[in-house]
Amino acid sequence: MKEELEPHVRDILRALGDKVSADEIERELGNYLNVYRVSLDTAKRSIVKKHGGNPADLSLGITKTVRELVPGEQSVSLLARIVSVNEKEIETEAGSKPILYGFLGDPTGTAPYTAWNPEGLALAKGDVVRILNAYTKEFKGRVEVHLGNRAVVTKEAADLLPPVEGGRPSMPSGPATAAKVVDLKEGLSNVGLTARVLSVEAREVNVAGEKKTVRSGVLADDSGKVQFSAWKDFGLAEGDVLRIEGGYVKSWRGIPQLSFDERATVAKLGADALPPAAELAQSPRMWIEDLAERGGGVDVTIRGILIDIKDGSGLVYRCPECRRVLRKSVCRIHGEVQGNADLRVKGVVDDGSGAITAVFGRELTELLLEKTVEECIAQAKEAMDQEVVRDELADLLIAQPVEVRGNVTSDDYGLMMIVDTARVLKVDVQEEARAMLEELEG
Amino acid sequence: MIREVAWRLFAGEYNESTLEAGGGGDRAPTYVVTPLGARVNRLFVVGVLTDVENVGTDGQPMWRARVSDPTGTFHVYAGQYQPEAAATLSKVKPPAFAAVMGKSRTYSPEPGTVYTSIRPEMVKVVDENVRDYWILEACRSLKNRLEGAREAQGMDPATKDALVALGYPEDTAEGLAAASAHYGKVDLSRYTSLLAEGLRYLLPEYRAFAPEEPAPAAAKPAPKAEAARAPGEEAEDVVLALIAELDRDGKGAPWDALLEAAAKKGIRKEGLEEAVNELLDKGLVYEPVLGRMKKI
Repeated sequence: MKEELEPHVRDILRALGDKVSADEIERELGNYLNVYRVSLDTAKRSIVKKHGGNPADLSLGITKTVRELVPGEQSVSLLARIVSVNEKEIETEAGSKPILYGFLGDPTGTAPYTAWNPEGLALAKGDVVRILNAYTKEFKGRVEVHLGNRAVVTKEAADLLPPVEGGRPSMPSGPATAAKVVDLKEGLSNVGLTARVLSVEAREVNVAGEKKTVRSGVLADDSGKVQFSAWKDFGLAEGDVLRIEGGYVKSWRGIPQLSFDERATVAKLGADALPPAAELAQSPRMWIEDLAERGGGVDVTIRGILIDIKDGSGLVYRCPECRRVLRKSVCRIHGEVQGNADLRVKGVVDDGSGAITAVFGRELTELLLEKTVEECIAQAKEAMDQEVVRDELADLLIAQPVEVRGNVTSDDYGLMMIVDTARVLKVDVQEEARAMLEELEG
Repeated sequence: MIREVAWRLFAGEYNESTLEAGGGGDRAPTYVVTPLGARVNRLFVVGVLTDVENVGTDGQPMWRARVSDPTGTFHVYAGQYQPEAAATLSKVKPPAFAAVMGKSRTYSPEPGTVYTSIRPEMVKVVDENVRDYWILEACRSLKNRLEGAREAQGMDPATKDALVALGYPEDTAEGLAAASAHYGKVDLSRYTSLLAEGLRYLLPEYRAFAPEEPAPAAAKPAPKAEAARAPGEEAEDVVLALIAELDRDGKGAPWDALLEAAAKKGIRKEGLEEAVNELLDKGLVYEPVLGRMKKI
């Protein structure tokens, strides 16, 4: 908590001209936020006012670097280079309007931005701009810069900032931070990791109109697995044990992924530096709480109780064009269509530390039901109710301990696993109970 | 909105709660904070459903169910706004193993008195395996909280920040700090014995009356078990055996016969009542009709 407050304490001190001690400000700020639960902005303004300062000074002349940005700033200034600009239409109560979004950056890092009132705002890729009165929010653990009504953007000389390299974080000098796969989190850079290549393949990608070959696949150590992208040919082969220094972590739908390029050093270690591939390929068992903290994971195993089966589970019909699930034979995009039958379960698995949406596809659902989709169609016809299949799944699965394995992603609604394998658990409760009791009684 | 986790929690801890904490704001969730610092908005319990009763009217039924675990009894209320749970409860024939997922609720008829209950989102009849697995989960969860509470008791005062600094997740630290401020130093040995009770419940060597077990195991309980058992529990075992023995017509053991048989074993009326109450609470027996006791 203290660390999070520090930048705000500094803002207040700056506005007050250092006439109050930092400790006192920190204590007061904590009091406003934790005891009275007012917003951060209100708290900061109130404290400045209380000590005879002018709250407007809070936002004056503070230019931050991208790395210094914290979520919840109400009025912040930046000198940054526009890395990308995109336009899209959004729907508002007053009709549709265009907004601009993309990434901006400076030598300390990059951040996504959104300009909500782009009229008269000529942003172009590569521009260096001074931004006044922007505000920040957090989305998926990352700070976003928002340019609202109060924001002022002026173009500056292009040589005020060095070019930002393709959205990659700059590489701080010094030794790499040693990490295990399980520690990798979005935004980390200069990572040092020892891992074995479980799979690797080369593919062509288009980066800003330029063709590049990227080698991607899965790396693993004894703590877990991670997808990787190598932007230079390091001659990687399946089974290699690598020491990678200078990698950085980005995430795709919450799953941390390791990237490394020509700025990284990659050394091959002896094959016995890590356990064999067959052992590392095992899926690590994780608590949902830890997955939530990381934002997701590759090929992980969860044990919990299936506590809910959501609507839209069981026998469903999908649009032949877009595979969306139909409601009353109507696709949201393609209207009334002849749907294709499918089976799925959208369940909630809760392990006592957290909850996750688990999606089981057709094959798994057939396996759990011990019925084919054709048999389910016949069953629904006989009952004259499509919901009988969902009811049967609920009877079978709800309140049962299950083990599910798959990739976990995250979004605003929390975590989701696309389940690869699942089974109803039979646990020897006596063995574990005996061990716990022995520990308890010493 | 991130879905609230479903706590696995013994009745013996949940029912001791007297603190309700709001998240602040209109639609923020509320939490029942237990003496060990669990911040419970949703819970998942599995136990023995011992009775269901309509405490509302025929037109607007309100089903009240009791669900017992090895440490106590949960009270579950389902009315018109919980149609699925109410429908299930109206049909269940107790006794049955039941899984209940629901929201935590408190009721305070007068200052200083707080009753906890569950407003169910889901009720389902399950089997013994599911119940046993739940007990194990509840034990694990209780063990974690005991460790946290022990740590918090060593601090003066136990603040959220200090606990976070020790590596506890924010939610856990917030619960521990709130519990410490409201309950003071709770007697942790009480919860250690709850934990032991839950664990022993799963182990056949601690089940004194277990006819399905082979004779040697029942006749030769582990010496450690004997030492750890409270004297009251011996009476409970005797009474449990008597209830099974005296249930000759399948309708339960008549109270008078039980009173007489207990007296012969040196258990007086007060002792018998106490033992029966304990057995009722633990969900080992129930009262099918007034004046008769039946083993589950």
